[in-house]
Amino acid sequence: MDADYAPTQIPAALDEPPPAAPPPPPANALPLHIALSALAGLVCTIVWAVTGGGYYWAAWAWLGLAVPVLVHAIIRFGLSAPASARHGLALHGMVTGMICGILVVTWGFTTDGIRGFWPLWPLLVLGVAVAVHALIIYADRLPGRAREAQLAERVGELTRTRRGALDVQAAELRRIERDLHDGAQARLVALSLLLGRTEERLTDRPEEADLVRRAREEASAAIGELRDLARGIAPPVLADRGLAAAVEALGRRAATPVTVEARALETRPLPVVETAAYFVVAEGLTNVAKHAPGAAAHVRLAEEDGRLLIEIADEGPGGADADGSGLTGLRHRVEALDGTLTVTSVAGSGTTIHAELPCGR
Amino acid sequence: MRAVIVEDLALLREGIVALLREHDVDVVAQAEDAQGLLRIVAGHKPDLAVVDVRLPPTFTDEGLRAAIEARRRQPGLNILILSQYVEPIYTAELLESGEGGVGYLLKERVGEVRSFMDAVHRVASGGTALDREVVSELVRQRTGGAGDDALASLTPREREVLELMAEGRTNAAIARHMVVTPGAVEKHVTNIFGKLDLPATNDDHRRVLAVLTFLRSA
Repeated sequence: MDADYAPTQIPAALDEPPPAAPPPPPANALPLHIALSALAGLVCTIVWAVTGGGYYWAAWAWLGLAVPVLVHAIIRFGLSAPASARHGLALHGMVTGMICGILVVTWGFTTDGIRGFWPLWPLLVLGVAVAVHALIIYADRLPGRAREAQLAERVGELTRTRRGALDVQAAELRRIERDLHDGAQARLVALSLLLGRTEERLTDRPEEADLVRRAREEASAAIGELRDLARGIAPPVLADRGLAAAVEALGRRAATPVTVEARALETRPLPVVETAAYFVVAEGLTNVAKHAPGAAAHVRLAEEDGRLLIEIADEGPGGADADGSGLTGLRHRVEALDGTLTVTSVAGSGTTIHAELPCGR
Repeated sequence: MRAVIVEDLALLREGIVALLREHDVDVVAQAEDAQGLLRIVAGHKPDLAVVDVRLPPTFTDEGLRAAIEARRRQPGLNILILSQYVEPIYTAELLESGEGGVGYLLKERVGEVRSFMDAVHRVASGGTALDREVVSELVRQRTGGAGDDALASLTPREREVLELMAEGRTNAAIARHMVVTPGAVEKHVTNIFGKLDLPATNDDHRRVLAVLTFLRSA
């Protein structure tokens, strides 16, 4: 095989120049800013001390120096990460904290004792704003909402895994069907051929010839049973020609007059969906033959918004038990694919089976 | 007679080749996929192509499609399709695919050596050989839907003769199968054609076609 002799490929990356060094991070001027501000504050304090103390006016200088440093730090933090709801909340909190700090410090500098804490109202308003912001962002962590989010996640997960399991099951069934065809069935045909040739050579020994003939007939019966088994998994015409052709074949084979209206589906649904739809029609027509023998039936297949619609309507007496017969098993099969199956049967106006399946493409 | 075989499973291909050679059929070429079929038919111009319905790479109905394509390229090519299952729409497609002999048999019929070889010779000479399953499917369709009473007017014996005719068998073969005289078969055939209002003919092929046309006209 070619692949065995393919020359070892040299990874392309080795031929490329080394990646360019990342751009240097912007210089961090914050420590310098802090140092200069502290120096300035210190100078003011020294001047205050040298000029004889008294009212500590240098506190205002400290405050005036601290505010730009805080603003600088907040801007730096704001640029440090890509925009996100949480980052935005953190920034909001910081700005609020800074304003509150300025208010409280200003109050502290200007008021003797704890009379009239005037920053109370702005602090409350700012605090409530931050709290509301946080609530909006973390709403899904609230006890009730968290449960909802968890359930939604679980539903998504189950839908994925169920679809996966069905795909695996469908692939496995196809493999079994293929193996039956290429394995056991083929060997039985070869056996039957050998027995036939043997039988031919025994024309002068009728007893032996008869034994061989019976052996061949057993082989034929086994082949027939395997064929039925394979057809029960999925009829060959479904895989070969698609749902519309397979349903038309069902209609022709039915014991009652059947009209089929199958608008060509633009692209084929997933095999597992096709097979389920096929068996819905097959079981529906069997039910018509059983409960409304001779009544005309009409099968309709269509696709709307990614859903496959299947309808089997008969002109029989109606009044069928919607939960009875083979329909329950069929409903489970349809529901496992996220589909629905409803039976409408009013005495005197026939029975209609309506099924919908997501095409799953 | 010169035949080609197209079958992807070597075990079966070799068995069928051996069987045909024992019966003086000259197997001039073998292939295992649809492309191979088109190539050997073009290269050897055989009297008969024996083709498995299901071939690589898709393992669906590629053999049937390729056989019909081969007949389009070489009109009059006689085709015998072997299959693990019978499907009425394939019968229709084969019968409508143009001039030439047509056979559609279940694979296990190769074990019924005598009737299989009858079918091989019949198809190779431009005749018809349909599996009894195919015929009973056609009869079921005809009796199922339209509430048609022409078939219902046949006696069980006549019905049996009709089905054997639809398989493509000659009067002599039908007589042998039913263990009656050829004269008795002749009489049944006349009755059947009268009751079904079909044009009487002594030509075996035309007779088969008339019966098939009737069965498929549901």
